[in-house]
Amino acid sequence: MKTKTPAIPYIVWMGIFVVIPLILIVIYAFTNFDGHFTLDNFSNIDVFLQVFGNSLWLALIATVICLLIAYPFAYLLAQEGPVFRKIAMLFIMLPMWMNFLLRTYAWMSILENNGFLNQFLGLFGIGPLHLINTDGAVVLGMVYNFLPFMILPIFSVIDKLDKRYIEAAQDLGANRRETFRRVIFPLSLPGVLSGIMMVFIPSISTFAISKLLGGGMSFLLGDLIEMQFLGAAYNPHLGSAIALMMLALVVIAMLIMNRFGDGEEGAVVM
Amino acid sequence: MSKELIRLRDLCMAFDDELVLDHVNLYINDSEFLTLLGPSGCGKTTTLRIIGGFTTPTSGDVTFDGVRINDVPPHKRQINTVFQKYALFPHLDVFENIAFGLRIAKISNKEVEERVLEMLSVVSLNGFEHRRVDQLSGGQQQRVAIARALVNRPKVLLLDEPLGALDLRLRKDMQNELKRIQQQMGITFIYVTHDQEEALTMSDTVVVMDKGRIQQIGTPVDIYNEPKNAFVADFIGESNILDGIMHEDYVVEFFNRKFKCLDKGFAPMEAVDVVIRPEDIEIVPPDRGRLVGTVASVTFKGVHYDTIVDFKGYKWLIQTTDYHEVGEVIGIVLNPDDIHIMKKSEYSGLFGDYSSYSAEYDEINDPDFAEEDEEDADDEN
Repeated sequence: MKTKTPAIPYIVWMGIFVVIPLILIVIYAFTNFDGHFTLDNFSNIDVFLQVFGNSLWLALIATVICLLIAYPFAYLLAQEGPVFRKIAMLFIMLPMWMNFLLRTYAWMSILENNGFLNQFLGLFGIGPLHLINTDGAVVLGMVYNFLPFMILPIFSVIDKLDKRYIEAAQDLGANRRETFRRVIFPLSLPGVLSGIMMVFIPSISTFAISKLLGGGMSFLLGDLIEMQFLGAAYNPHLGSAIALMMLALVVIAMLIMNRFGDGEEGAVVM
Repeated sequence: MSKELIRLRDLCMAFDDELVLDHVNLYINDSEFLTLLGPSGCGKTTTLRIIGGFTTPTSGDVTFDGVRINDVPPHKRQINTVFQKYALFPHLDVFENIAFGLRIAKISNKEVEERVLEMLSVVSLNGFEHRRVDQLSGGQQQRVAIARALVNRPKVLLLDEPLGALDLRLRKDMQNELKRIQQQMGITFIYVTHDQEEALTMSDTVVVMDKGRIQQIGTPVDIYNEPKNAFVADFIGESNILDGIMHEDYVVEFFNRKFKCLDKGFAPMEAVDVVIRPEDIEIVPPDRGRLVGTVASVTFKGVHYDTIVDFKGYKWLIQTTDYHEVGEVIGIVLNPDDIHIMKKSEYSGLFGDYSSYSAEYDEINDPDFAEEDEEDADDEN
């Protein structure tokens, strides 16, 4: 038997910062202001169905765009030499050294009606375009902020892929396309799955991006929850209930994703 | 009897400044079992990879059926490979691994199924088609790798140390199995190994390589009985190699004595290497011996005793089924056909002296041994 002593600090940590908060959320979700048990918080949720749908939709689009950008990038990067890789990785990570909110504020000033982009387009007589406070701006913010989380896992899987599998495929008659389709892509799915989770989860729960880049136009789950705790609509019980529903939504989405990976090595979260 | 299929002409390969293959010339016949044998780093795997199309030679030509194929990519060659550690696709089951090449060739489902099941029975894995490859033992993975290559009906099968990771018993079984499959299917096998016994057991032709050069090409019997130089003599089996002088045809002198031998064609008084296989030496009572020595050490090896005998400070290895005690004085006789004469080469004086003999001489002489051990340990983890 392996001793469990070294794990104790982590167990304590997780207990305090993960398990207890979750329990609190559950308690809040099933009680009202008087502290009595109630299901009212959930019965009202259908009012926010549109917010749920909108969040799910934008997170989905952002995830798909991230995947479309990240996969070819990671694939090509894995073929490059060590120096190029290091530099490319540095550039991917560089924006992340800056605070998330600051990066998003920067996009605000770029996208504003008299912002940087519109001034630039104005030189060519185009615009001004209405860019800020649209769903598009929100998706852009999500993609920009979460793209590295898609690139990194895919890159590391492709990079570690045993070259012998590729040689074996070529040996058996596969050209480059067939080799990719039948060997490289299937073997890189675990990276794709963790990338999807790492982009989808923060996208569906974000509130800062939608607030800054979406204005009042894109009202997402994160905004809704934030409003229940910090906003005018102060109601932590309803907020907890929505948070719980969102959690369920994420879990369901992840279960569906794991299905795609045949539940093999794809079981990153579950 | 059979026609030439592959020819390597003046093949050179350099990685950076290091010459890995040095003017290799070789032809390989159709339906032949040819083995490239040599220590690690001798260029045998590089040669195989060039034939497979995974490496492009720095200079020289590879022809297949008379056509130059230097620039033909691997997927367009009628050659399949069994890789050193099998490289079975982990995301596919046994059936789909074997079917891989057929699927790419767009063979109909019905034929794919027939051919895969047929191959499974050739490699004795009936009923394994839906196993995952990571549920298979090493020997079973090995068989799947062979089936995956052979199902495409290649003209040539390349095997890169395919039995290296298997234990001794399994390796012996698979040697017979491979030979049987090769004869049954009539395909050319090009086999890479550092195990001389494996090479002698299975091959029609053995190519001994060292330092990127071919040292000798021949049948297993030729290679063993008529080694060309001290390297071959030492690498294939055990040998006592001594300095000698060829007085005239059929007469060689060593230890200041003249012996009859069966070799001729050397210059008068030419300095030569003399090979005496340890199992050919006959031990007799001292008064009847041509040479007399003292037993220095004895190691029991199962079938025989490895007996080290000191002849005036020069130590010989003698393999004998009779036990002789350490310190015992013995005589030996040598028949003319026990003595093999080789020309002097760059390897002269490097091999065949048992003065520093230890019971582990096999391991010391085999540069792959330590490396292989580590690999085995890795595989078990």
